[in-house]
Amino acid sequence: MVTLAVWRKFKQQVEHLGRFSRFSGSAFGAMGSSIAHPKTYPLVWTQMNIIGVKSVPVIMATGAFVGMILAVQAYSQLAAMGLEERLGVLINIAVVKELGPVLAAVMLAGRVGGALTAELGTMNVTEQIAAVESMGTDPIKYLVSPRVLACLLLTPVLIVYADLLGILGGYFVSVIQFKINSGAYWDYSAMGVELWDVGTGIFKGFFFGGAIALISCYKGFTCREGAQGVGEACTEAFVGCFISILALNYVFAVILDAIYKTFWPLRPLL
Amino acid sequence: MTRVEVKPGDGILVTRNLTKIYGERVALEKVSVAIEKGKTTVIIGQSGCGKTVFMKHLIALERPTEGEVFFKGQRIDQLHNHELAEVRTSFGFCFQMGALFDSLTVYENIIFPIQQHREIKDFKVLGELVKLKLALVGMDGYQHQYPASLSGGQKKRVSLARAIALNPEVVLYDEPTTGLDPITSDVINELIIKLQRELKITSVVVTHDMKSAYKIADRIIMLHRGKIAADGDADYIRNHPSEVVRQFIEGRIGEADLAALRLGGTKFPTQFQPEDFSGT
Repeated sequence: MVTLAVWRKFKQQVEHLGRFSRFSGSAFGAMGSSIAHPKTYPLVWTQMNIIGVKSVPVIMATGAFVGMILAVQAYSQLAAMGLEERLGVLINIAVVKELGPVLAAVMLAGRVGGALTAELGTMNVTEQIAAVESMGTDPIKYLVSPRVLACLLLTPVLIVYADLLGILGGYFVSVIQFKINSGAYWDYSAMGVELWDVGTGIFKGFFFGGAIALISCYKGFTCREGAQGVGEACTEAFVGCFISILALNYVFAVILDAIYKTFWPLRPLL
Repeated sequence: MTRVEVKPGDGILVTRNLTKIYGERVALEKVSVAIEKGKTTVIIGQSGCGKTVFMKHLIALERPTEGEVFFKGQRIDQLHNHELAEVRTSFGFCFQMGALFDSLTVYENIIFPIQQHREIKDFKVLGELVKLKLALVGMDGYQHQYPASLSGGQKKRVSLARAIALNPEVVLYDEPTTGLDPITSDVINELIIKLQRELKITSVVVTHDMKSAYKIADRIIMLHRGKIAADGDADYIRNHPSEVVRQFIEGRIGEADLAALRLGGTKFPTQFQPEDFSGT
């Protein structure tokens, strides 16, 4: 009996995954077509404004606090060993490589992912998506692809904002509050943080953005009827986005580390 | 009941042995119907009998488990979505709750299908088109309102204006008078009749409002448990000998259902007093 229930649950999850893959495939197909047709650009601009521009303040605040908190937490540890001038390298490498991209993406999942699911979910239960389809327009092309495209293109840009404010936040706390020498702070940072670190953090943004948009739109398109259905879909979308961001981050950590070690095998030793 | 086999060319819309099964529930079972061009066909039946499912198959919003759907002789139930896009421009669909895009104004709602399928860029022309469509349903002047500020009847009228934006050959109405007061319902009925007469539109109306059905229908089809229970004009349906049909058109509960209700207990939850639970 239990085995049967587990098997059923497993089958259900595989079916879900299959449906999500098909949905993602259609969304990427529609995105290709959207890029080729300038007629759809206004839809993408609108979504870029909603998803990207309006997220800038919250992403910047997240980045700034991450940098500031890292400075406060790490200072006493490094000061005890007389290494406080190396605070910059610790903060900046953590911000640009991991915390900036991941926390910016998580913030985006909460702010944008929830809104996307709620909007599309409400459209679904009030038959607005069926109305788009009944008028001979592909709802994936009209509703999903502009959102995915906007998220995909703007998440890396938002990560740059988070990184920038994280670096500045850490710098101000270190230099103004803890009186660390500004020149030494930047010198050590420049020695420790490479373009590779900054680049990989931003590169991950494309995948985080894509995952947030696809999961949120899928949950909106498949949500159950009623207010409870939309609410559940929003929760599932956020949890799904959060787990995916962390999982993707782990996968990229492994892959990018392997690539780095292949091309620059001696650098980690220096 | 003897069935005549329908052929793809028998009507503008034809379904042959249309069957839809959700899990273990049979929503439609071998429904064969030929819908005549330029006429109003009304589908009636109890809630959950498969009316809306049937109508969604006519525009391929749902795909059949078995059977075929033809539009002007062309089989459409197997077409890919991008092929269906062109077919769907020949249809207008009036959803039960209007399904207007609530983030767009009335004007933007109506130009939506036009912008999607026609190359009209001149805003003056678009404005004139919207004005014309809204005037047809008596809603000119509401162009800049949002759906949230409209009443139920107004939403349905705007939805109708949007449905006819591309001058469709067929308009499908899903319960157009549900939730409206009797006068607004009659306004909608008159609009359906007007559009059919003036624009020569083929109308398929799903409803359980018999007053509306008798008024607008050239032909009434009754669905019962996913099958056709009756098919004919208003007079034929009004005098139908079948008990199932009579019960529905007279709005009368069946003996079996009534008996089940009587057996369902004499005390309803609201009749319980707090002391009923305090003895144990």
